[in-house]
Amino acid sequence: MYAVAEVVDEACVAKKGCRLCIMYCPEANTILFNKENQVAEVVEQRCKGCELCVVVCSSAKHNAIRLVHR
Amino acid sequence: MSKEKIKINTEFYDIMPVEYQELVEEGTYGKEGRGWKDVGESKELIEEHSLCAGCPESIAFRYVLACLPNPEDTIMVGSTGCTSLVFPHVAVHNIHSLFGNQNAVASGLKRALSYRFPDKVKDVVVLAGDGATVDIGLDMTLQSWFRQEKFTTICFDNELYANTGGQSSGLMQKGFVAKMAPAGKKFEKVNLPEIAKVSGCHYVAKMTVSKPNRVEKAIRQAILIAREIGPTYIQLYTPCILEIGKQMMEGLQEMRDSEGPNKRFEFEEYISEEAKAYLKTVAPKKKKRKEISA
Repeated sequence: MYAVAEVVDEACVAKKGCRLCIMYCPEANTILFNKENQVAEVVEQRCKGCELCVVVCSSAKHNAIRLVHR
Repeated sequence: MSKEKIKINTEFYDIMPVEYQELVEEGTYGKEGRGWKDVGESKELIEEHSLCAGCPESIAFRYVLACLPNPEDTIMVGSTGCTSLVFPHVAVHNIHSLFGNQNAVASGLKRALSYRFPDKVKDVVVLAGDGATVDIGLDMTLQSWFRQEKFTTICFDNELYANTGGQSSGLMQKGFVAKMAPAGKKFEKVNLPEIAKVSGCHYVAKMTVSKPNRVEKAIRQAILIAREIGPTYIQLYTPCILEIGKQMMEGLQEMRDSEGPNKRFEFEEYISEEAKAYLKTVAPKKKKRKEISA
């Protein structure tokens, strides 16, 4: 079982210009900006579950990313 | 040249790896004003790598690769360490040589390129860890600055030999106890940015990678100055979370804690008078493809 990040679309404020998770994710091409839905999305196969995106998102009080087990 | 060089023959398109196809379609080669804002919306020049989960060094790698002004004509010279684990997954030409040799290799490379392609802009960027830059390769690093070789040196400073289990390095802080340095570091952290200033570097910056804007500006300036004026040096703090006993999500906070006022990674920047005058002549993002004369 692996822990991977998951974006809660309703809470994500990427449409307002927030790029915190995309910016601080240590993995390349893992958190992408979905231009159609205007939210961040996680490529689960690449995610190592380091929780850094959860930390930056929740410290900015957005709380739009959580870790889930797959 | 942009993407012409890496374009796939249509008959072989379907058998190429998906990652390569994405790179050709969405890579940012040849894009004017590329920077960290491209990440997440276009294909990055770095692929899935084998660094630990949450490693700040990989954050630094993403920023550096996103900010290179001219990636298709850039050659990176790496050295042994965790950085050498990433270079096989980087879509920029790169060279790996003996441990500590990186600045000597880059000197020869830059000279050869300026003879071979006198009309083209060819950037050489050295990217190595603190062991390669300050301990094992200090001779080559300093000599290249004394000789005013025109390339950028970037040091990923994690303050110890992380890849081999945590031996003490010249850049480790005084008194720090690591797994393979149980007695603690005996002398002060080597102040390489100061040494770089007096050794002839025209641009010196010391920072952490917690602010991508700042990293982008420093890298762009360093590479522009290295094209025309002389050697440049950037020292980036990329803590090894494993060796300093942090959790994988604590790397960012560690960097923020180390860059406060009077902390050891407080932002410092030095630009020589000559380089300042040069920077005034090139408007940022517009003339960065200015051609170099041999």
